[in-house]
Amino acid sequence: MNKNYDVVIAGGGAVGAACAYFLSREKDLKIALVDFKKPGNASRASAGGLWAIGESVGLGCGVIFFKTLSKQINEAKANGEEAPRMHPHQLPDFFFDFALSSNNMFPALHEELREKHNIDFKFQETGLKFVMYDEHDRAYADQIASGIPHLSDQVNWLDADQLREEEPYVSPEAIGAMNFTCDHQVSPFLLIDSYTEGARQNGVDLYLNTMVTGVETEGNRVVGVRTDKGTLSCNTMINAGGAWSSQICEWATGEKIPVYPVKGQIVLSEKLPKIMRGCISTSDCYIAQKDNGEVLIGSTTEEKGYDTTNTLAELKGLAQGASKCLPILKEMNIKRTWAGLRPGTRDEIPILGPMDGIEGYINANGHFRTGILCSAITGKLIDEIVRGKETTLDLKPFLYDPKRFEDLDPPFYG
Amino acid sequence: MSTNNQNVVIVGGGAAGISAAAQLAELGIKSRIIDEATKLGGVVYRGPLRHTEELPHLDEFYQKSQKSLQDKYHNNKDKIDVQLETSVVGPDGTDGLIISDQQKLENVKYDYLILSTGCHERSIPFPGWTLPGIMMMGGVQLQIKSGLVRPGEKMALCGTGPLLPLIACQLHKGGVEVEGVYEASSFSKLAKEAVALLNKPMLTLNGLSMMSYLKRNNVPFHYGWGIVKAEGKEAVESVTVAPYDKEWKADLSKARKANVDSIGIGYGFVARTQITQLLNLEHEYSYQSSYVPKLDEFHRASKDNVYVAGDTSGILGSDGAAFEGQIAAFDIALRMGVIDASTHSSRVNKARKGLQRVKNFRFGFDRFSERQLGMLDLPDDDTVICRCENIKKSQIDAAFERGVKDITSLKMATRAGLGDCQGKVCSAYCYDRFKQAGHQEKMGQLRARFPIEPITFAMMED
Repeated sequence: MNKNYDVVIAGGGAVGAACAYFLSREKDLKIALVDFKKPGNASRASAGGLWAIGESVGLGCGVIFFKTLSKQINEAKANGEEAPRMHPHQLPDFFFDFALSSNNMFPALHEELREKHNIDFKFQETGLKFVMYDEHDRAYADQIASGIPHLSDQVNWLDADQLREEEPYVSPEAIGAMNFTCDHQVSPFLLIDSYTEGARQNGVDLYLNTMVTGVETEGNRVVGVRTDKGTLSCNTMINAGGAWSSQICEWATGEKIPVYPVKGQIVLSEKLPKIMRGCISTSDCYIAQKDNGEVLIGSTTEEKGYDTTNTLAELKGLAQGASKCLPILKEMNIKRTWAGLRPGTRDEIPILGPMDGIEGYINANGHFRTGILCSAITGKLIDEIVRGKETTLDLKPFLYDPKRFEDLDPPFYG
Repeated sequence: MSTNNQNVVIVGGGAAGISAAAQLAELGIKSRIIDEATKLGGVVYRGPLRHTEELPHLDEFYQKSQKSLQDKYHNNKDKIDVQLETSVVGPDGTDGLIISDQQKLENVKYDYLILSTGCHERSIPFPGWTLPGIMMMGGVQLQIKSGLVRPGEKMALCGTGPLLPLIACQLHKGGVEVEGVYEASSFSKLAKEAVALLNKPMLTLNGLSMMSYLKRNNVPFHYGWGIVKAEGKEAVESVTVAPYDKEWKADLSKARKANVDSIGIGYGFVARTQITQLLNLEHEYSYQSSYVPKLDEFHRASKDNVYVAGDTSGILGSDGAAFEGQIAAFDIALRMGVIDASTHSSRVNKARKGLQRVKNFRFGFDRFSERQLGMLDLPDDDTVICRCENIKKSQIDAAFERGVKDITSLKMATRAGLGDCQGKVCSAYCYDRFKQAGHQEKMGQLRARFPIEPITFAMMED
C-alpha cells in the first residue's frame, strides 16, 4: 500500500470524520481518513449534547468543577468562615461564536446527511436546563446570565411550577431552572457514522482499524502519513488525533502541542420510557435521555493520563446526582459505565489551522468537551483552510501559539 | 495445620471453584466462594453437591466421577464460606471486588483470587432462533434435572459434541419424544479421533452405550446434519434441518422440515470472561472460546495474585476444571507457606497428569466438533443478531460493506453489543464474521463494563 492523496486525515472521531465529510462534499479531492479506535477515544464516551451555551458557561461537563466549589462554600458557611467567591467558568466570546455557529449548522446538516446519505444522527431539540436546588445554585445561574447579556433571548427562566410542568419527574426539591433554549442533542455514534458514511459515499478512502504510526517529512514539509498498513503520501495532513494529537503533531512538526487526555466517567441507564423532555445539568452532573430511551449521566473531569478505568466513588457521585434530580431513577437499572478521554487544552479552546514554518500540516484537535458540538464548524473551517479560502470565523485565536498557554494555571480539575 | 488470615476469594462455585476450595480446605486454608446461583455446582453439572433422590438421568457416570470431589467438599465444609445468590459486578481497585445481592453493593477484599466463572453457551443465529421453545443444551439439561419439567413434548436436538447423545438419552428417559439428533460433523471425522477418545475409555464406552440406547429406542441420530431454521407463530412449531458439508454449509436442496414444539441447540461454549476483562488481565483470542485470559502453568493470570481455573480459560468440562482448581489451590498453598516446594510439585504434577488425560480426550472431541463458518450463512437479512438492541443481520452486513474491521467500530456503527447483556450473546457471531472476513487479528475485543449485571441507581446510594 503506497497511495497518493491530496489530504490524509489522522483520526476518525467526530472532528476527523467531520473534516472528511466537509472536504469531500465537492468530490474534487483525493482524501483518506485513517482511524483506529483506541480505548477511551472521546467520541465513544460522548453524551452527544449540543450544548453551545451550556458548555461555554461551564455547565454540562463543567459542573463537576462547580460542585466542588459549592461544597466548599457550604462547608465554609457551616464553619462560619467567609465563603470563597463563585465564578462561573465562562469561555471567551470568540468561543461562543465558534460553538453557536456550529450549533446553528446542525438542523441543515441533519437534513443533508439524511437526504443525501440516508443516515439519521437523531438530532433532537431538547434545550438544556440548569436545575437549581438552593440559593447557591440560583446565585450561580444569575452570574451565568449576567455574563451573557447578548444571549438573553436564548435563556428562559422556569420557576418551580413551570419546571414541574415541563419535567414532571424532576425532584420536588428543585426550585426552578434556567433553560438554554438553543442547546440540543444528537446521537454521537450516529453523527460520526453519518459523517464517515457521507464521506465514503463522496469517495473518501477509509482506512479503518488502521493506526497512525508516524509522519513522513521532507524539510519543513509533511509528505505522508505512516500507518501500520503502509504509508499514505499526501499534500496535506490533518491532525484530528483527539487525546493522541500531541504525539502526531510531534511526528509531523517536531513540536509537542499541549493537548492531553482528560478522563470523563459516564453512567448509562437501561432503556426507559421517556422521563425527560430536555437535557438537564445540575451542580452534580448532566443528564440526557437519548433517542433509544437510555439515560446518560456524566461526567467526571480527571487528569489520569490515558487511564480509562472506572472508579466506584466517582460513579456513585454521578448516580447519586442523577437520582437526586430524577428520583424515579432510583428504581431503575444502571446498565453500563465507561470512561472517555477528552482532548484537553489549558485554555479549553481547540487548536485549529496550520503551524508556523510547517507546510502541509493542519491541526484540528483539542476540542476538549465540545468535539461533537464543534465538529460541524471545524469541518467547515478546515475545508476552507485546505482550499485557501477566507475562513468563516477568524482563525487567529485558535491557531497554535505557545504564548496561548504560557500564563495559564495548572488544570483546575484533579 | 496453619490457619490463614489471608483472604482467598473464589468466584464461581462450579467444579473448578469447589475443587479449589475443597483442596485449600484440606490443606487447612479457608476460602470464600461467591456464586450467583441458589446452589453450588455450576451450570451443566448443577446438582452433584446435594444428595437427591434417583433421577431418571443417564449421567450416573458423571455423578460418580464427582463423588470424590463431593466427599472432599463435605468433609471440609467448615473451612469454606459460601455466599450464594451474590454476583460480582466489578473490581474494586486491585485487591477487591464489588459484589451485589440485588439489594446493595458490598466490597470484598482478597489476597488471592480464583476466578472460575465457567462458560456460557454459544449463540448461533439462524432464522427463528429467538422463538420461544428454542433452548440451549445446558438449559434443556437444567430443566430436566431441576424438577423433571419436560422442555417439550416433541423435540429436535441440533449441535455438536458429546452433550448431544447425553441430552438425547436424558430427554428420552424423561418421556420426551426426540424427533431427531443432528450432529453437525460427519461420522468419518469422529472415527479419526478414535485414538484420542481412548484416553478416557470409560467415557467413550459410556458414549457408545448412549448411542446404542438411542438406537434401541429408535431415536434417529444424524451425523453431518444441522439446523437451518425454526418456524412458528408465537412459539416453535417446526424445525428445518439439512445435511452440512465439511464447512458446515447447509445443503438446502436436501432440507427437511419436521413438526416439533421445542429445539435444543448446542454448538459449543464461550468462556465467561467479564470479570477477567474488568480486572484488565491479559487475554488472547481463542477460536473455540472467544477471548480467554493468558495463564502460566500454575493457572496464574497476568496479575500475580489472580488465578483462573475451569472453562473460563478454555473449555474442558468439569473433570478438567476440577484439576485446574486443584493446581491453583496448591500454588496458593505454596505461596502461603502451607506446603513446601516438593509437596507442591508432586501434587501439581499429579493433577497435571489427570488434566492431560482429560485434554487428550477432550481435544479429540474438540477437533471433531470444531465450529465451521458455513453456519454464518444461516441467518437471513431480517434475522436478529443482537437481541438486546434488535440489530438485524442486514445492519451488520451494511457495516462490513462500509469497511468496518473491528468490533468497537461495529458496535458504534450498529449498536450491536451495547445492550443489557453487554454482547454476551452476539459477540461470538460478530467475532466469527471478522474471522471470516480476515480481520480476526486486529478485530479487538468487546470490553466488559461495570456493572457486569445491571444494578439499580438506589444501590449506588451511600
